[in-house]
Amino acid sequence: MNKRVGIPGGLYFYKFYPLWESFFNELGMEAVTSIPSCRKILDDGVNASNDEACLPVKMYHGHVIHLKDRVDMLFIPRLTSISKNEYICPKIGGLPDMIRHAIKNLPPVIDVEINLRDKEKSILEAVYKIARISGISKNKAKSAYSKALSDYRAFREKVKRGVLPTDILEKKIYPLPSKRIDTYKVLLLGHQYNIYDAGMNMNIIKKLKNKGVEVVTIDMSSSGELREYASTLNKKMFWNFGTLAIGMINKCIRENNIDGIVYVMTFGCGIDSFVCSMAERRIRKFSEIPFTVITLDEHTGEAGVDTRIEAFTDMISWRRADENNFSAPG
Amino acid sequence: MKTDCYIGIDVGSVSTNIAVIDNKGNMLDKIYIRTEGQPIKALCSAMGKIEKNWSKSLYVQGVGTTGSGRQLASVILGADVVKNEITTHAIAAQKLVDGVQTILEIGGQDSKIILMRNGLVYDFAMNTVCAAGTGSFLDRQAARMGFSINDFGNLALKSSSPVRIAGRCAVFAESDMIHKQQAGHSAEDIVAGLCYALVRNYLNNLAKGKEIRETVVFQGGVAANGGIVKAFKKTLGTDIIIPEHYDVMGAYGAAVIACSQRKMKKTSFHGFGAVKKEYTAKGIKCEDCSNMCEVIEIASDGKVIARWGDRCGKWSDMRAV
Ligand code: SF4
Ligand code: SF4
Repeated sequence: MNKRVGIPGGLYFYKFYPLWESFFNELGMEAVTSIPSCRKILDDGVNASNDEACLPVKMYHGHVIHLKDRVDMLFIPRLTSISKNEYICPKIGGLPDMIRHAIKNLPPVIDVEINLRDKEKSILEAVYKIARISGISKNKAKSAYSKALSDYRAFREKVKRGVLPTDILEKKIYPLPSKRIDTYKVLLLGHQYNIYDAGMNMNIIKKLKNKGVEVVTIDMSSSGELREYASTLNKKMFWNFGTLAIGMINKCIRENNIDGIVYVMTFGCGIDSFVCSMAERRIRKFSEIPFTVITLDEHTGEAGVDTRIEAFTDMISWRRADENNFSAPG
Repeated sequence: MKTDCYIGIDVGSVSTNIAVIDNKGNMLDKIYIRTEGQPIKALCSAMGKIEKNWSKSLYVQGVGTTGSGRQLASVILGADVVKNEITTHAIAAQKLVDGVQTILEIGGQDSKIILMRNGLVYDFAMNTVCAAGTGSFLDRQAARMGFSINDFGNLALKSSSPVRIAGRCAVFAESDMIHKQQAGHSAEDIVAGLCYALVRNYLNNLAKGKEIRETVVFQGGVAANGGIVKAFKKTLGTDIIIPEHYDVMGAYGAAVIACSQRKMKKTSFHGFGAVKKEYTAKGIKCEDCSNMCEVIEIASDGKVIARWGDRCGKWSDMRAV
């Protein structure tokens, strides 16, 4: 029987799942993921994790709990950096230790380090290590990885054409962006796990879509292009997400084709509060684009999110009506 | 002769307000009552009062609902527009106060700030979590010290040196007040200190990084409290305008929106008779999947008229209407 590898459905899941899934499947294993985030996963995660942990990390704990007894091993990589000269959050770097400490009776954990800051070769080292752990030859692992990479690139291409990663991951039949009839375009800004995880953010994407909004995210632009746009910053940021977020904002301001920007942040996250206030300052200073922040924590109520989304879309349509000389919002 | 009118209803967890306006936006009647945890009862009795005041002489052309119970009110009354409370408060202030650029609002259960530029909403923030910034907290402190909420505001105005009270969170503020009382500070200085603490809390939570431009309007139930108004004036260094209908601005805004859309279609208002029926609301805990949604079901005379609160839509789509 094929070995089952569990890939918890939180944190960098929304960025890398297609890569990881394809890689393990190529190795002859079966990639298994947890159910979408929900109340139960959150409650289990909150109970298991440290109080200091942020909401996405708590949610991740819940996903691990949900998966651990259904798989032969868990894949919880130690991501310390995913691009050159940039770090990601230390909480994510320490994830495997945190999980081992908090959750008992885990199956074996594949916790290879992925650090692309120094040399891109380290990803291959990680691949070989996984091969060793699972008793697979180096060569097979290498070719599995290159197949996975090409699948991942295909996924990225689709996203860059304007398809939401969640629509691809849920294997939905998605309309091609050009055929959409949505009225407004809103940039949803934030860490991938905050903007795409419907169970964490009370379904923000669906709520926006129901209001006739086309949702755009950072992932729909190439990171090279965004880095270009961010290079006007005097000092380089050391966080991958911050650079891309600011690049995206500069791009929106330049292209002038976005009707509003919503930043979804985690309560208590240092990176978010830094990037968010920087983003807000730029948007306010260099543009008139409506902007709002939605803060998530485990007590966030759905009614509050609804009210904010509605007020925000009203604000956009009111402005639009004003430009066209209509009166009052509808 | 019948009077044409538009009705706006704001159902919140603390108060339920109704505004009745004519087609020029003039207030014809208003009601402000406590919800006391029973929104349906509050809504029905408030509507009953309006009907009695006008003994069938109103011709209702449109209805708008707002507040956390906007959906509920809409189902029972048949609303033409259902709007969030940010938009309705903004519309109301813009209609009643020329050149408004900042709206401070403190209600019983929450507080918000809305920035307007060139007559449009530019930015907003809302606090629904921290109790220390709300009217209910003031009520509670007044009761604890043995004053009515009206005396509370006047008392604060008598103070010449307000004590500094830690207002970052409701629990701290309360224990700090008790401490200051024991230390022998006068009641007026403590009450005034609390007003400043609440204003600081409000500004820290909602106005951080936001530019407060004049004209500044203060609305919501707490605007009746002279002590808070003074604390806002002092802290912001600006004048503060309290609109005449400060306590029903959400309802007024909902009525104005209903009025502005009047040409679109005939009203869906069910008539005043609707509030005489029996309504029941019950919570159903759906256990069909791990979301474990708390679904709300509203029934009228034993017949289910609406359900909401589910993530997947399987309950809300089952409308038996
Ligand atoms: S970046 Fe923020 S939200 Fe993400 S794991 Fe770190 S602390 Fe949590
Ligand atoms: S209402 Fe739908 S989403 Fe909610 S628990 Fe039931 S089945 Fe799950």
